[in-house]
Amino acid sequence: MKYLFIFIIFTVTTIAQVTADDVQTITLKNGMKIMVLEDHSIPNANMYLFYKVGSRNEYPGITGISHFFEHMMFNGAKKYGPKEFDRVMEANGGANNAYTSQNITAYTNWFPSSATEVIFELEADRIANLNFDPKMIESERGVILSERSTYLENDPMEQLWDQVQDVAFFAHPYKWPIIGYESDIKNWTKEDLENYFRTYYAPNNCVVVIAGDVKLSEIKNLAEQYFEPIPEGPKPRDVHTVEPEQLGEKRVFVKREVPNPYVMISYHVPETGSDEHYALDLLKSILSQGRSSRLYSSIIDHKQLAIEVGAAYWNAFDPTLFHFYGICSDNVTATQLENAILTEIDSIINASVSENELQKVKNQKLMRFYKTTETINGMANTIGTYELFFGDYKKLFLAPDLYNKVTTEDIQNVAAKYFTRQNRTVGILQTEEVN
Amino acid sequence: MKRNLNFTLTITLLITVLSITTCAQFKLPPYDKFELENGLTIYLMEKHDVPLISISAVFNAGAERDGEYSGIASFTTEALRFGTAGYTKNQIDSLFNFYGSNLSTYAELDYSGLSTTIMKDNADGLFPIIKEVIASPTFPEEEITNRQQRWLAELDQAKESPRTVIGSYYNKLIYGNSPYGNPVNGTKTGIEKLSGDVVEEFYNFNYSPSSTAIAVVGDFDAETMKSTFSDLFGDWKGYPIKTIGDTYYNEVPFTESKVYLIDKANATETTFRIGGYGIKMNNEDQTQIDVINTILGARFTSWLNDELRINAGLTYGAGSRFRAYKQSGTFYMASFTATKNTEAALDLAIKTYNRLFEKGIDEETLTSAKNYVKGQFPPDYETASALANLLTQMYVYKLTDSYINDFESKVNALNLDRTSELIKKHFPKDDLQFVLIGKADDIRDVVKKYGKVIERDIAEDGF
Repeated sequence: MKYLFIFIIFTVTTIAQVTADDVQTITLKNGMKIMVLEDHSIPNANMYLFYKVGSRNEYPGITGISHFFEHMMFNGAKKYGPKEFDRVMEANGGANNAYTSQNITAYTNWFPSSATEVIFELEADRIANLNFDPKMIESERGVILSERSTYLENDPMEQLWDQVQDVAFFAHPYKWPIIGYESDIKNWTKEDLENYFRTYYAPNNCVVVIAGDVKLSEIKNLAEQYFEPIPEGPKPRDVHTVEPEQLGEKRVFVKREVPNPYVMISYHVPETGSDEHYALDLLKSILSQGRSSRLYSSIIDHKQLAIEVGAAYWNAFDPTLFHFYGICSDNVTATQLENAILTEIDSIINASVSENELQKVKNQKLMRFYKTTETINGMANTIGTYELFFGDYKKLFLAPDLYNKVTTEDIQNVAAKYFTRQNRTVGILQTEEVN
Repeated sequence: MKRNLNFTLTITLLITVLSITTCAQFKLPPYDKFELENGLTIYLMEKHDVPLISISAVFNAGAERDGEYSGIASFTTEALRFGTAGYTKNQIDSLFNFYGSNLSTYAELDYSGLSTTIMKDNADGLFPIIKEVIASPTFPEEEITNRQQRWLAELDQAKESPRTVIGSYYNKLIYGNSPYGNPVNGTKTGIEKLSGDVVEEFYNFNYSPSSTAIAVVGDFDAETMKSTFSDLFGDWKGYPIKTIGDTYYNEVPFTESKVYLIDKANATETTFRIGGYGIKMNNEDQTQIDVINTILGARFTSWLNDELRINAGLTYGAGSRFRAYKQSGTFYMASFTATKNTEAALDLAIKTYNRLFEKGIDEETLTSAKNYVKGQFPPDYETASALANLLTQMYVYKLTDSYINDFESKVNALNLDRTSELIKKHFPKDDLQFVLIGKADDIRDVVKKYGKVIERDIAEDGF
């Protein structure tokens, strides 16, 4: 799984069975906020912990440390030493994972509800008393280098994405890869990790979501027993760097031996909390969701110019990028595919989208919502995502109105406003550079 | 990410899910199974938590039937939705998408399938399309040719990702030219030979109501749905079945270790699998074998991940898996490591594996694994689509309800003595088979010690 595909947002046009009132909130004295959704359909529950720290909080020299830290959270604390976190959790029937994005770091625990207290104890131990064993740091460094190497080895698009990000951003920390530069990975120190822990892993910088076969009263008691004694930390400094306006098209070439060229075209767009988010999100679906989408039907089905094409636009605290990407068919040049993608973009700017297309993507949002509410994991992740990126989980339940308000004109307007030549970065990856 | 998801229990095919889990409380929810006069088997299960209906259909048309047209089974199942008597490809795609759905098709070695999830309010509009896609596809030549061209490029593209293609090399090494050695997505030579006529002939030969099952799970009334599906599919005739049952596959024992070295000149890491034969899908020991495999390589604290990743820092993830088919099955350990660490990682994987035979498993570890597989089970059957897939898997592999309902008692019954017996019986010990994809110039000499080396270039067609 790739980091960059984590934050596909689950938004809705109609709310099903779950309502805002079903989600209960507990705020502890140390500032930690916990949201609870009781759901007794299976004898399982989960606990998602979202820390407001990601690669945007780094700086050159420690790039990738947020992700490295994610790994170190499993490598030993005070009561439970190295390897014990996983051993105890699995012996109690639980499993876990974690992920890091540009914006946040999330820890996910899935367990039979009988193990709920054990999970609280394990989490509290590492939030309060994480320990950095030098041996574990070195071993984990090797793991991260392997993780970095394997994603570059297996996916040329990842390699291109790294380069396009770097070129598109002049100033903002979204420019470096989440996993970090190889030389930084090799050189972090124990002190860097300790500073990071003190700065970002305080309970007041964390949002917790628990969904499943639990009782609110039980969670409240456990939270007060295990999480509340952990002291509040100072508020981390804001990321104040603002990406300046792009002043002209940028282009980047990556040389790699591949059968067919890869193309990426990326435009600066506003952050997730922007009013224009809903129009941009629907536009992404119109362009790329399903075989009847603009990009697939035109470029793959009709023109046969690509074997893969799509658009991506992820949640972000700060102004971000809206990406188009594709892999050429045999005997198709990168220029041909680039022009075909630009033609599709221009057709939306010039002729807008149809009411039928708009209704289609609203229906797709509804389906996505139902699928999300079908599982406790879907709900936990969605509640947390809204709380973090929209400022309040309750906005999940306002989303229907906000999506329904989007008109075909709104979609045409955001396309015209942001998909300009001046605002774009084009990346090409292929075997040989062509003049 | 903390771990390589390749080895977690949650994202792989349902076969894996089936092979690993159950929970204390879980029993298969009630369902209705019936057969129409034309032989079509239908399963219905009500589930009302969300207004969705999931459909899974399976056909006795897996890639083991490819023959000279490598890839035809996979191609044909996708081509079902290229057009029907009543709908063009464009209409099929547009209607499903408009209602928020996708119609998915896929092939495995043993069978091929179709699946979708729709909102219940759209059932009347979409059911007839599903029926036509299954029962009256037209395989338009133009659509076939277009897809064929892209498919060929995709086969080249797939080889950019060793982890995507290593399974095809591994099955080729284990099964050679017998049907389970067929790469599901085919070879360029096989795909180039396809035409509308050839695809249609494959369909006529292999798709028939009497060898098909459809499972419908979701927010509906079973009585009404029974009538709807009986009316919908009752007139599907199909062509007379020209094959009787399954082909019988006889495993040929290995007499030496082989190293299938796939040269990818620009590789920076070596991706590998090590193993041999495993078990068939309906093996009565499967549940207990999977508890043991959880200890070896199917959870984060598994021996392989602990040694290769946590202790040695050689890889991002290491694990093991039994991949069961109707007539046979494979077992393999899998990981990847920087080219320079190839020997260290392979040696450590083998050494760790040999602990199974030399030291065996202790009581504490066994108890932990039993708790783990039981605790992780319920979410695997949380959705309508997971349950629909389960029902059709039961059809394909002739599994009874006890496969699910007796899982807990089978897990609980596993003790240390039984563990030793199962290790001896089912985990291949000698003549291990190796597939390595990496930079051959740098590892050719190193890997000779593991067995007889057979080398080929990754750019060569096929596997």
